[in-house]
Parts: sequence; structure tokens; C-alpha cells
Amino acid sequence: MKRKHLSHWPIHLFVLMMVIVTLYPVLFVITIAFSGGQTLSIADLPQDPTIADRLRAIMPWPENVSTENFRSLFADQPFARWLLNSIAISLATTVVGVFLASTAAYAFSRFRFPGRRAGLMMFLVSQMFPATLMLIPLYILIVQVLGLESSYVGLVLMYAQTAIPLCVWMLKGYFDTIPKELEESALIDGASQSTIFFRIVLPLAKPAVAVTALFSFMTAWNEFVQAATFMNKEQMYTAPVGLRFFVSGFSEQWGYFAAGSIIAAIPVVILFLFLQKYLVSGLTAGAVKG
Amino acid sequence: MKDAPPSHRRRFLIGLTIAALIAVFLGAALLAAARAGESRERSERRSVVTLLALAQLIDRAGGGAPAAEEPSFGLGEELPPIEGEEAVPEAVEEPVEDPGVAVRRAVAAFAKAHPEVKAVRVVGFEGIRLEASTNPEDKAPRRLEREEKPLYDLGQKLRAAVAGNREGLEGAARAEEVAVERLPGGLLRLSAPVERAGDVTGMVQMDTDPAEVRAVFPWLPALLAWLAPVVLFVLLSFVLGERRALLAAAAVVLLLGTLLALRAWSRRELEAERRTTAKTIAGAVKQEGERAGALLAELGLPADPPLAPELWDANLYREPRGLIRTGGVVDEGRLGELVGADAGRLTRSVVVLALIALALLAFIGWGWAARTGAALVRYRFAYAYTLPAMLGMIFLAIFPFFYSVVLSFTNANIYNTDQSVFETWIGLDNFIDILGDFSVVHRTAEGLVWDYQNFYWTLGFTLVWTVTNVLLGVTLGLLLALALNTKGLALRAVYRVILILPWALPTYITALVFKGMFHKQFGVINQIFQIFGADPIAWFDRPLTSFLAVLTTNGWLSFSFMMVVSLGALQSIPADLYEAARVDGATRWQQFKAITLPSLRPALVPAIILSVIWTFNQFIVIFLVSAGEPGRATEILVTQSYKIAFEQYRYGYAAAYAMVIFVILLAYGTWQNRVTKATEAIG
Repeated sequence: MKRKHLSHWPIHLFVLMMVIVTLYPVLFVITIAFSGGQTLSIADLPQDPTIADRLRAIMPWPENVSTENFRSLFADQPFARWLLNSIAISLATTVVGVFLASTAAYAFSRFRFPGRRAGLMMFLVSQMFPATLMLIPLYILIVQVLGLESSYVGLVLMYAQTAIPLCVWMLKGYFDTIPKELEESALIDGASQSTIFFRIVLPLAKPAVAVTALFSFMTAWNEFVQAATFMNKEQMYTAPVGLRFFVSGFSEQWGYFAAGSIIAAIPVVILFLFLQKYLVSGLTAGAVKG
Repeated sequence: MKDAPPSHRRRFLIGLTIAALIAVFLGAALLAAARAGESRERSERRSVVTLLALAQLIDRAGGGAPAAEEPSFGLGEELPPIEGEEAVPEAVEEPVEDPGVAVRRAVAAFAKAHPEVKAVRVVGFEGIRLEASTNPEDKAPRRLEREEKPLYDLGQKLRAAVAGNREGLEGAARAEEVAVERLPGGLLRLSAPVERAGDVTGMVQMDTDPAEVRAVFPWLPALLAWLAPVVLFVLLSFVLGERRALLAAAAVVLLLGTLLALRAWSRRELEAERRTTAKTIAGAVKQEGERAGALLAELGLPADPPLAPELWDANLYREPRGLIRTGGVVDEGRLGELVGADAGRLTRSVVVLALIALALLAFIGWGWAARTGAALVRYRFAYAYTLPAMLGMIFLAIFPFFYSVVLSFTNANIYNTDQSVFETWIGLDNFIDILGDFSVVHRTAEGLVWDYQNFYWTLGFTLVWTVTNVLLGVTLGLLLALALNTKGLALRAVYRVILILPWALPTYITALVFKGMFHKQFGVINQIFQIFGADPIAWFDRPLTSFLAVLTTNGWLSFSFMMVVSLGALQSIPADLYEAARVDGATRWQQFKAITLPSLRPALVPAIILSVIWTFNQFIVIFLVSAGEPGRATEILVTQSYKIAFEQYRYGYAAAYAMVIFVILLAYGTWQNRVTKATEAIG
């Protein structure tokens, strides 16, 4: 038994190497965030750096630990406003997505009606459109026709385009697993179609609805391209756009960026770790059906 | 009980009734709109003739120039109100050298000769003066007041337009030199520049009563045109009975006959409108020419060079329309051209109407409508439940998609968003431009030079990018999954959570962090290189190193997904399979080949498909890490199309580019669908 464990060391070596590669960028961000400065380097190098100096400069540990970046992020920068924008937009997207998708997903799961296949294909294919393909017409429609540039409504409309199909597919997958007998017996007892859905199926599907809602929230929360295109006023930036703003162009405020990244990432990383098993099954199932 | 078989007669009758109703009334509405438009244009053109006559008069009277010496306000000539019938007070005591006086006299005389003109104002730019006005409350001449700034601004706009158009380059956008505004009371307010010696020195503004006749909707002819084919069809259907094909033919013939009659009628009406316009304008030109001549004589203004009233029938750029020849005669050839163009437009509209009507007729007559209606009723729950999501998708996905298709055939850009699709239509030019340019590489003195802007370079780079990334992701993910699947491996759960982090982190954060780590001067990656004595590398200065940087970034964030998928598949392999294999004496390699790989396939194939699409569309990494540097060499298709749209603002071209990407993805999707089905059948 002991020998067998010993034989694991090459595996440990390989995995540990990958763990270091994986953790290094994360630790790097944390280091910069707690460094209290705005520079990209962990340590200042002297004129003629020795190897020890250089090693110090790549060690992911700040020279002085300070929470100044976090304090200043909220006190001096509009980061709180950006977080608020992100929360409002992600919540609205989730509500729109789940609300519109739940009945549709149920109908696609339970009823066989003309146009069902076409509808399902539409939801699937629309997810395959490259983002830019939809971005151009939607930008013209939402910004130039409806005049909704830099507004919550415009971006939520944009996000709904990806959120609705995602929610329909995820919820349909779950409704498929609820046994039909339950509804049939309710039907025999004289329940109406809407009673069955709202009183029986939806309560049963609560966990699935919750998971779907969380995914939809995370997708909107992490979205960068569309937000960067739509939100041109600094006041209306979402957190991703704001974080990029810190380190783009002439401003190189890596400290703010790192601190803000940690705040923006922690909730989604935790959520993700809890939810990833649903995501994997949902994604692969969808791909096979496609 | 079974329903009686549907009556073809009834269906075709309903179909014909509805189709004819829509075609006839739509056509009649279009005609009424065209006539109203023509009548509006006629009155505007007539007013423009008057306005240009007035401008001509003022030009000759002194061009809105300031007085030689500032006249005191008391001496300013009071013009009589137009409605007032008093004679114009002779202003002989004014010094004649003051051109302002001449202008005021000209305005007064002009207003008197034109009862339909309700007000005239002349603005001189030098001194910002209201030079003359027929409204006595204006107390012209005087300086313009602050509230009258819009008036002055309008004048300056016209002046800029004249200057711009004169030195205007070929094809440059032209600006209107005459402003037409409709006042709430039904009056037309027209403004034109006043010139002296080729310079715009002022503006004349005129309010006039256009005396329009409102075109009425042709109710009676429309009703007749609608009911005639219906009645005829009813009569015919008694003869034809329930013979479906004959009924259909009869309905189509009647419908087309109705549309042809509608076309003939509309054509006659439109031609009559055109002729009326020509006659009206010719009359106006003649009349204004005579009046202007008389006024010149009356005011003692120079009559040389002779007036050219036929040039007063001009468009808003003050270009003569060429319809009226010298002496106020209508140019019949030009009129014929206009009528011919009308007929062409009319035919196009009628063809569109016919298509709509025939589609409706077929839909109802052939029974599709009945079937659709029945399905809607029968599956009303399903349709009601899917309706909200469907509406959302129609508005947010389907319509934009087709809009994008249309856009790809235009040269729409940020400067012509107000133009319609028909005006910017350029056919296949965008696609020819993108796909037809094969000059990816040039041979120059310095060797081969690649054109990074070329579509095929970007396509090639995208393919290399996709293949290398997926290979890297699958290899790393599979190796890690095999490692973590080792039985009894210590710390397995910890490893798994850590190795999943790259997937959990938001991609934009990863991309920006790597961008920082690849920084030439301060980035940690160059620091590590320097420990080994290497020189710092400017990662984004050469295509290869730039590619390595984005590859590293994407490799880092994509192996987790493959690892999780593979690990899930490995763990679902029942252990007794291996046990049985061991009992049969299979080696580990044989076990891997015969059990592990086949069990991985159902999970791995969809994951690879997905990963190919993700990587192909991996916008964020390219956009944020390399940003296409150097010189767009590391741009992939989606970032390229984004930059065309949102950095160059060439929406049409970008839409065509996106359409090409879509076709590539569609081809890939269809191909993989066939392949996976094949693998399913085998597996």
C-alpha cells in the first residue's frame, strides 16, 4: 500500500506544476491589490538588480500590505456606482430572462405543436450567432433608432437576447425530467392548464429556476463587450467596463484594477464553484442536441 | 361527427375579397399620398419662384448691404402693412446712396404686387441688421435683437451652404441654399440668400399663403375597384362550381385585372398632376417675370442683365429644374421624362402589391389560413406560453439578424444613417471586397510582406488560433483529468477546486491580468525571463510573440473546462469494467485504449465542438490582450468585424464581414452535426 502511494509522486509533480501556473495570476492580482500602489510591478528593482532582487520582484507577496486600494476604490473612484449599475442590469436581465423563458420552456417540454422544432432550433441557433453579428444591428436599432445609448434598458434588451435562449434551454431540460403523471392526474382532477403550470410544475421546478436565474445573472455580470460598446458615459459603466477603464489608454491604475477585480470576481467565483456541475451537464446536453 | 368538406368557393371568395380590399385600398392610399405630395411640392415650387424673384429684386436694389452711414432710427422708413391699402409713402427725402432705402422700397413694392405674400423680411449680415420688413412693428431698419438670433443663424447657414456648394467637391454632400418651413397657420416660410457681386451679404425671408388644394381619398373609385372583381367572382363561381383549380385561376385573373386597372388609373391621375404642376409653374414663371420687370422699371433699378425668370423654378440648391424654358414654356421632353419615371415607380409599387395580394389569396383560398387558425385554436396554450419568449426573440434576434443581412448589401456607415436602405444599397460589393481580395502577401525589396488587413490572413490566423487552442486545452485537460482520476491520490479535492479557478474567473479579468503580466518593462513574465539572463521581450511587437501571449492566456483559461468534462466522464466509467479487463489479462495501455478512450468520447466530442466555437469567437482575449497588435496581425475574424463596425463605423461592411463569419460557423455546425450523428451511430 505504501509503495503505491509513493508511486504517485510524478502525478503530484505534474499537478502541482499546473496548480502553480493556475494560482500565480490569481496571487499576482491579490498582491497588486494589497500593495497599496498603482504599479504593475510587485517590487521596485534597483539599478543593477541581482538575482535575489529579481526573485523578489516575481514573488506574489506585496512589499507593504495595505488595504488603501480598496478604500480609495470606493472613496475616490466611482466604483460603487459601477457595481450598482452591474447589479441593476444583471438583476433586470435575470428577471426578464426567467420570466419570459419559464412558460416557453414548459410549453416546449410538454406540448407537441406545429412550430415546436423550429422554435427550439431558433433558440439554439441564435446562441450560435457570433456576438458581433448581432451587435451591429442591435447597436443601430437600440442606439440610433430607439435612442437608448448608455441606458439600463438598452443594455438589458441586449442581454435578454442571450439570456432568453439560455434560460429556455436550461429550464426545458429540467421540465423534461419532471414526470408527466403528476400533471395528468391533476388534469383528471379538473385542474386548468394554467393551474397545473403555476401551482404544480413551477413550485417543483424552484431549484431549477434558481440555478437558471443564477447563471443568467452571472452571464450578465461578467459581460464585457456589449457593455463596453453601449455604455459611453462614465456614470453608466458596468463593473467590467470600469475595471478596464482603469488600465486602458494612459491611465495605468493597476492597484484599483486589481482591488476592483477581486470584488467583482469573488461572488461569481463562489457561485460558479457551487453551480458548475449543472453548467457542465447543461452545456454538453445542449451541444449534443444541436 | 365529421365537419362538412370545406367549400373552395367560399374560401376563394373570402381570399379574393380580402386580397382585393388590401391591394386596392393600399394602392389608393399610395396614390392619394403621391398626389398630396405633388400638390405640396407644386405650391412650394410656386413659392420658390416668387421668392427667387424677390431675391433677384433685392440683389439689384443693393443686396442687403448696410447703409453707407448709420441712419438715425427716426429716419427709418416705415413700411405699410401689407393688408393696409395705403399707398407706399414716397421716400424721396432719403439720400439715394443709401442702398437700404432702395431695398426697403423694393420690398414694399414687391409686397404690394403680391397679395398672397403675407410678410417679407430682409436681414443684412454686416452690422447684423434687420434691413427691411413689411411688419411695421419690426421697426426696420435696426440691429437684430438677441431673441432674433435664430433668424441670423439661418442666414449664416444659407451663406455657408452657398459657399460650400460653390467650392464643393464632386460627390461631396450638398447643403440646401433655400430653406422652406411650414408655419402652424398653414403659411410657408421661405428664406433665400441675398447676394451682391457674388458674395452673400444677407437673407430674404418671405411668408406666403401657398393656397393648397387638399387631395381627397378616392373613396368611390376604390370601392368600385374592390367590389367589381368580388361580384364577378361570385357570378363566375356559379358556373365553375367546386372545381378548385379553375376557381383559383379565376380569382388570380380577376385580382391581376383589378391591379392592372388600378395601375392605369393611377398613371392617368399622376400624369394629370404632373401636367398641372408644369402648367402652374410655367404660369408662375411668366407672371413673376412680368411683375419683376415692371417693378424694376417702377423702382428705377438696373434692368441689365435681363431677368431670366425660367431659372427661378429651382430646387432647394437653387439649381434650375429645367422644366420651364425661356418665355415660360413647358419643356415637353423633360415633362415626358418625369411622367415616364412616375410610371416606372408605379409599376414597381403595383408589382409589390400584386405579390402581397396573391400571397394572401393563396393563403386563404388554398386553405392554409383555415389550417393555421385551427392549429392556433387547438394549441392555444402552447402558443400562448411561448408567445412572450418568441416575441422577445423576434425583436431581439430574428429581426436584427435579417436587418444585418440587408445591411451587408449596403455601404451604411455613421454618416448616412438617415438614408434608407435603397439609397445605400451597393449589392454584393462588400462581399466582393472581402472575399475577392487575394493579395495576402506582397514581394518587396525587404522580402515578403504580409497584408494583415486581408480577410484571408485573418481567416488563417483564426483557424491556427482555434486549432492550437483546442489542442492545448484538450491535451492539458485530459492529462489533468487522468491524473486527478488516480485512485487514492492525496489532496484530489483541493487540486480540483484550484484547477477549476481559471474557468470560474471572469474572462475579462483574466485577459487584463495577462496583459499586465506580458508588459514589456514591468510584466512579471519578462522578469522571469531576465532571471535566466534573457533580454526582455516586447511581446506585442511581433506577430509570433503576440500570438504566443494570447495563446498562453487562452490556454490558461480554457483547460479547466476540458478537465472538468473529462473528469466527469472518467468517473462515470464503472470500475468493474477495468476489473473484468484485468481478469482477462489486459495491460494498462490496452485498458486505456479499449475502455477509457471510448467512454470519454460521448462527453469529449460535444465539449470539443463547443470549445471550437468558443475559441473561434473568443473576442475578449484578443481584444484585451493583444488588441490585434502588431498592425492587426493577431486579429481574429470577430474582433476584426467589431473594429470595422465600431472603430471605422462602416456598418454595412462590418455586417457583411459578420455574415461571412456566420456562414463559416454554420458550415462548421452542419458538418459537426453530421459527424456527431455518425459517431453516435457507431458508439
